[in-house]
Amino acid sequence: MTMTILRIIIDLLIAVGVIFALAGTIGVMKMPDTFCRMQASTCITTLGVLGVGLGALLYTIFVMGSAATAVKVCVICGLVLVTNPVGAHAIAKGAYQAGIRPRKKMEIEDYRRDFNE
Amino acid sequence: MRKTTFAGVVSTFVVCYVFWILLTWSLDSQELIYGAVVSLAVALFSSRFFIHEKASWFFNPVKLINGIVFWLFIFPVELIKANVDVAKRCFTGCKNVNPGIVKIPVDLKSMYGQAALANAITLTPGTITMEITEEEGQTYYYVHWIDARLPGGQEAGEAIKGRLERGLRRVWE
Repeated sequence: MTMTILRIIIDLLIAVGVIFALAGTIGVMKMPDTFCRMQASTCITTLGVLGVGLGALLYTIFVMGSAATAVKVCVICGLVLVTNPVGAHAIAKGAYQAGIRPRKKMEIEDYRRDFNE
Repeated sequence: MRKTTFAGVVSTFVVCYVFWILLTWSLDSQELIYGAVVSLAVALFSSRFFIHEKASWFFNPVKLINGIVFWLFIFPVELIKANVDVAKRCFTGCKNVNPGIVKIPVDLKSMYGQAALANAITLTPGTITMEITEEEGQTYYYVHWIDARLPGGQEAGEAIKGRLERGLRRVWE
């Protein structure tokens, strides 16, 4: 009985992760400009990865019973969470400096005022 | 370039060794000795890139507990709220976005704190830190915000990072 409840919880966590990954993917396809697409992709790397990772963590601890694998799942989640923002800073800044501007007119343009024109 | 300090080497060594034990997951004496040698070599070479300020920060229990509370309770709540918000925008056709780059003041002094806050802002969907500048002693972040309803400044900063900054201030200051 507890096993069934546990499997349901694991499946729910993985389903939540997949739903957020789907939302992020739709956003990457349909958002109007580069920066908004990056915003949508953050959905995949945070709750998408965390949901699936948490489900996998519970699975490795209670179903597989292997602590070493559980630690490795934790390390995977941690590394994704630590490296993702670094890449996001670099890509956003690089896109801006390469001359990519939002297609819609930006509402507030502090960055352009201080750095370019 | 920074000097290699003893405290920096020790703290880097401890972090590397804990990771080694976690990854190998065995208390075999051979594994432990190999791990110590490798961790010491890594600490000697890399501590000057890794440790920028007080090296013993990690071993202060109050700040460690505050950090754990932040990364396990305060931050995930913000993360889930922002995720639901962006996912809603994505599922409703990506039309109701209002993007803009705003400039917000940040009061954290420590370099680690500023880096952690920038990463936390980037990790919450809907906001990406693009640049950190300093003007007249005050640190400013340039943040790309998917819902730029405020024209930057203190109020926008409160809306973007208010809770995150208060949580991080307990950890790093």
